[in-house]
Amino acid sequence: MSADDRLRELANRVRKHKGVGEFDRFVPGTRLREDLGFDSLDLAEFTVRIEQRCGVDVFAAGVVHTWGEVVARVEQHDRSTARGA
Amino acid sequence: MHKTVLITGVSRGLGLACARRLLEGGWRVCGVSRSESAEWSALARAHAGMTEWRSWDLERTERIEAGVQEFLPLTRPVHALVNNAAVAYDDLATNVSLARLEAMLAVNVVAPMMITRAVIRNMLCHEVRGSIIHISSVSVRSGARGLAMYAASKGAMEAFSRGIAQEWGPRGIRSNCVVPGYMETEMTAGLTADQRTRIRRQAALRRETDVESVAATVGFLLGDESSAITGQEIVVDAGLS
Repeated sequence: MSADDRLRELANRVRKHKGVGEFDRFVPGTRLREDLGFDSLDLAEFTVRIEQRCGVDVFAAGVVHTWGEVVARVEQHDRSTARGA
Repeated sequence: MHKTVLITGVSRGLGLACARRLLEGGWRVCGVSRSESAEWSALARAHAGMTEWRSWDLERTERIEAGVQEFLPLTRPVHALVNNAAVAYDDLATNVSLARLEAMLAVNVVAPMMITRAVIRNMLCHEVRGSIIHISSVSVRSGARGLAMYAASKGAMEAFSRGIAQEWGPRGIRSNCVVPGYMETEMTAGLTADQRTRIRRQAALRRETDVESVAATVGFLLGDESSAITGQEIVVDAGLS
């Protein structure tokens, strides 16, 4: 499963947890707060879900704002893990 | 399913009493302390399969994140935390040693904050409506000669606990402090007979605080019966303050 697909699943789990419907218009420019509707607690939950599933803290290297930035950090982690394997 | 609680300073005193009570209540106890005491080993044997233990030196705050990831990875749900471990630093403010002060703040403030961080992240991952207890001290309220630095470290944790309660309440995570009076533990072993007598006279119940009473309060605050209590400091001090 691609990083993008895994992250979509996790983002929608956070949205489901907060009682809002599924989001299906993910593009690199999708904004986590304004478009996905994530507040700071949702972002914290999204971060730990990513860490559990993908093994990387996407906020550790600085704040991310858009979907494209999150996907890029997970893909970068996937590549470095594959190189180290 | 058994719920899992992480207890720091589990090898003796209040930490051990909390572990015993929670094990009897069906909790699975993950305990950490610098060394493994005979009392903890005996308790672990009596509750085989329900305890796990790791040696953590909380002064080494840079190791906490890795320690938590090894002991309680995000794949394993944690339901409660008892931040109990602490060191006392008894001296006049004019005599403060920077090295001893920093070591105490590492164990009493920085370490519990970092452990709380890890536990809340774990709770978010598993949608756990968990409970966090910080053990404070009656010295935060009363003040006492020689305990200014120690009391300040505990006061910091009370402020932290109230902040955590407000911050994570919307996710059902609770945070409270239990504030014991003077207990007969290793930490107060240095008190003289005169000091103990004076403390007893000042307490409404004319005695020191018994460890079991404090452990029972911790157990109550971790359980569902206290589900509406958060952001509080519960004083258990035999009427000292």
